[in-house]
Amino acid sequence: MPATANMDADLQPRRKGRPRTAETAAPSLVEILNLVRTEKATTRQELERESELGRAVVADRLGTLTELGLVDESELGTATGGRAPRLVQFSAHRGSLLVATLDQTALGVGLADLGGKLKMEHHEAADLTQPVSALLDRLITLFRWIVEMQPDAGELWGISISVPGVVTDSGESFFQNATPPVLPGWESFPLVEKLVESFDVPVWLRSSVETMTMGEFHSGAGVGHRAMLFVKVGKRIGAGLVSDGHLFRGAQGAVGLIGSVPVSAGERHGTLETMAGSEAIIREGRQQAERGLSPILAEHLRRGGEITAVEVAQAAHMGDAGAIDILSQSGRMIGQVVATLANMLNPELIVLSGSIAQSNDILLAAAREAIYGASHPLVSRDLQIIRSQMGSSSGLVGAAIVATESLFSPAVLRDWIMAGRPQAHPQFEALRGRLETQTAAVAAVMPPPKA
Amino acid sequence: MVIEGLGPHGERASAPERVLLLPEDKARARAAGLRVAIVLHTLASDWAKQQLAGIVGTLGDCGVAVIDVVDCGFTPEVQIEALDRLIREAPDAIISLPVANAKVAAAHARVSAAGIKLVLLDNVPTGLLPGKDYVALISADNFGLGKMAAEGLAPHLGEDGEVGVLGYDSDFFATNEREIAFVKWMRINRPRHRLHVARFPSLAEAGATAAAMAKKQPDLKGLFVVWDTPAIAAAAALASAGLSVPIGTVDLGKEAAISLSGGGPIVTIAAQQPFRQGQTAASTTVTALLNRLTPAWVALPGVSVTASNVVESFQTIWRSPAPREVLRQQNLLR
Repeated sequence: MPATANMDADLQPRRKGRPRTAETAAPSLVEILNLVRTEKATTRQELERESELGRAVVADRLGTLTELGLVDESELGTATGGRAPRLVQFSAHRGSLLVATLDQTALGVGLADLGGKLKMEHHEAADLTQPVSALLDRLITLFRWIVEMQPDAGELWGISISVPGVVTDSGESFFQNATPPVLPGWESFPLVEKLVESFDVPVWLRSSVETMTMGEFHSGAGVGHRAMLFVKVGKRIGAGLVSDGHLFRGAQGAVGLIGSVPVSAGERHGTLETMAGSEAIIREGRQQAERGLSPILAEHLRRGGEITAVEVAQAAHMGDAGAIDILSQSGRMIGQVVATLANMLNPELIVLSGSIAQSNDILLAAAREAIYGASHPLVSRDLQIIRSQMGSSSGLVGAAIVATESLFSPAVLRDWIMAGRPQAHPQFEALRGRLETQTAAVAAVMPPPKA
Repeated sequence: MVIEGLGPHGERASAPERVLLLPEDKARARAAGLRVAIVLHTLASDWAKQQLAGIVGTLGDCGVAVIDVVDCGFTPEVQIEALDRLIREAPDAIISLPVANAKVAAAHARVSAAGIKLVLLDNVPTGLLPGKDYVALISADNFGLGKMAAEGLAPHLGEDGEVGVLGYDSDFFATNEREIAFVKWMRINRPRHRLHVARFPSLAEAGATAAAMAKKQPDLKGLFVVWDTPAIAAAAALASAGLSVPIGTVDLGKEAAISLSGGGPIVTIAAQQPFRQGQTAASTTVTALLNRLTPAWVALPGVSVTASNVVESFQTIWRSPAPREVLRQQNLLR
């Protein structure tokens, strides 16, 4: 029987007789686990109050969750008169997630627990224009190395990757069912499928601006805030919005493509990306050096160096007038576009990220001036505009959060919680079945060469 | 200067020149009457001593008082206790080399939380962020060191065969980066060699780990060890098993220099520059204390050392003459 048939059978509601324990218990298990996981309830009393379930039911469900290794009650809390209550804590180390960030020039990998906390990370230079198969090989090598270096990490439950492009939401599955055409060459290469086959876990892909927004919100400058606007400045310029603690994904996940907004500076017109992104900064830097307006960059060129955006930022930092001009102008243009968003959205916090914004105060200062100058007084009154401190780590943490939010969303959790591991989810079993069938079909058409 | 690696959060490296101190900076620092404490993994190794000399000397040039130097003996508990004690002393800055990852993360975070500037050497516990939890990381380009060692060892490996990699079984940024880079370079540039990785849990077990690897792979054509002290132990263990295997490693320790100069088994070394790293750590600290923005990661390039440049490299790196045995091997003693 194909795996899909299995899934259908499982999803059929039972109409007669007493319901199975699994069916009645699952909703309350899901609710209790999520109350514990999000720390809305940390004792049995709080769980009873928040869930409005009886003491016996809470005790029974906690027993099940403890058996599944998802909850731990071994620590004592602070007594508020009488005996100290047992703390109910989420076992974030029960499972682990492999995470990665791919951007134009670098590859980052890490291992996170189910709370989104990174246990290990590594970043290296990489060329995204290399063939996808080479990129996948490197990713698998680094993932295997991390798993080997972290033998005590929990069982692997997922892989989540931050990619430099929009990943539209098909809504078919809670994880990635196939490889979306994010980059050239991906439409004909089964990247996601190969990862599923290699590690036997579900795979998530999200745009880097989305993962970085999530990472910054959960572990960086966004901690303790409710409404945050995140702006990533690089070759591409994009924005992410967290509203009331949730990432806004729009109709298809194509949110924050502010790099396409037309802007002008004097006689010049173009999109924000082409006028203020890192390629514009490089182009202007080269021109300033050649015209003799930037002594530090000119010296750098004379010594055979290459002008990069970071070079321009460092020259500006050392007081080079030409470089300061370039970054101020870039910051001003970004600020003008972001101010429009700020007036519309009223964020508490705007975080600027990307290597240029992070290594240099000049771009940030110019952006701040433009945003404060163009914002309604009510919008700018308590608005903070800061630079990210997380670097590429925000993408890794955010990728982990994407996976945990998906795994533990009630509609998904319900279908795997009784098995204690997400690989038991019918949708994942169906994908695995489909991939096995495909592999078998390919093997039948092309028998392996004889030795 | 080409830096091959990326920082612990994917940062691009900044050159030590970025934190160069001008005479007016030094005058301002002197006028401020600053106090700094230093917490190192050990004070026993030449590497630590040279780095300390670079830090203390440069701070002295800026009129900054060093109020304490702690030897953690590679022990996380000692480091945690030292950091908590120093927080109460309230120096203006602490320069620390975290001896572990998760275990010492919270103690380091408390330093910044107490308003003390924290400058890290070599390693960043996962989760700590530059600008928030620490000022900057100063380290060698460890990824570059691994690659440099691979390039240096490659000519000694023949056309194909087995190559050993002796890593450190601890979650440590510097040694992880070296191992990843060595393996990556070999896979790309010497695809016909088969790599065998083993990791030693402590220095005392490095020799035994190497011996166990040699027993499994008696035809080893070469070995990479992530730093020099375990490399010397591995060389001794292989010699007592009757094997002579060319070894590449990181850091120009005295014994490693003698082995390199005498024709092996150590045949190539990618060396860090501890004195210069110490100077850079001190200038970064002073830059931060003058409330100027510092780069998140300042990296120093490695020095590729072979038998032909061992004498001058030793002098550059250690600021002292090469050992007499090296000078004798190089026919420099009459």
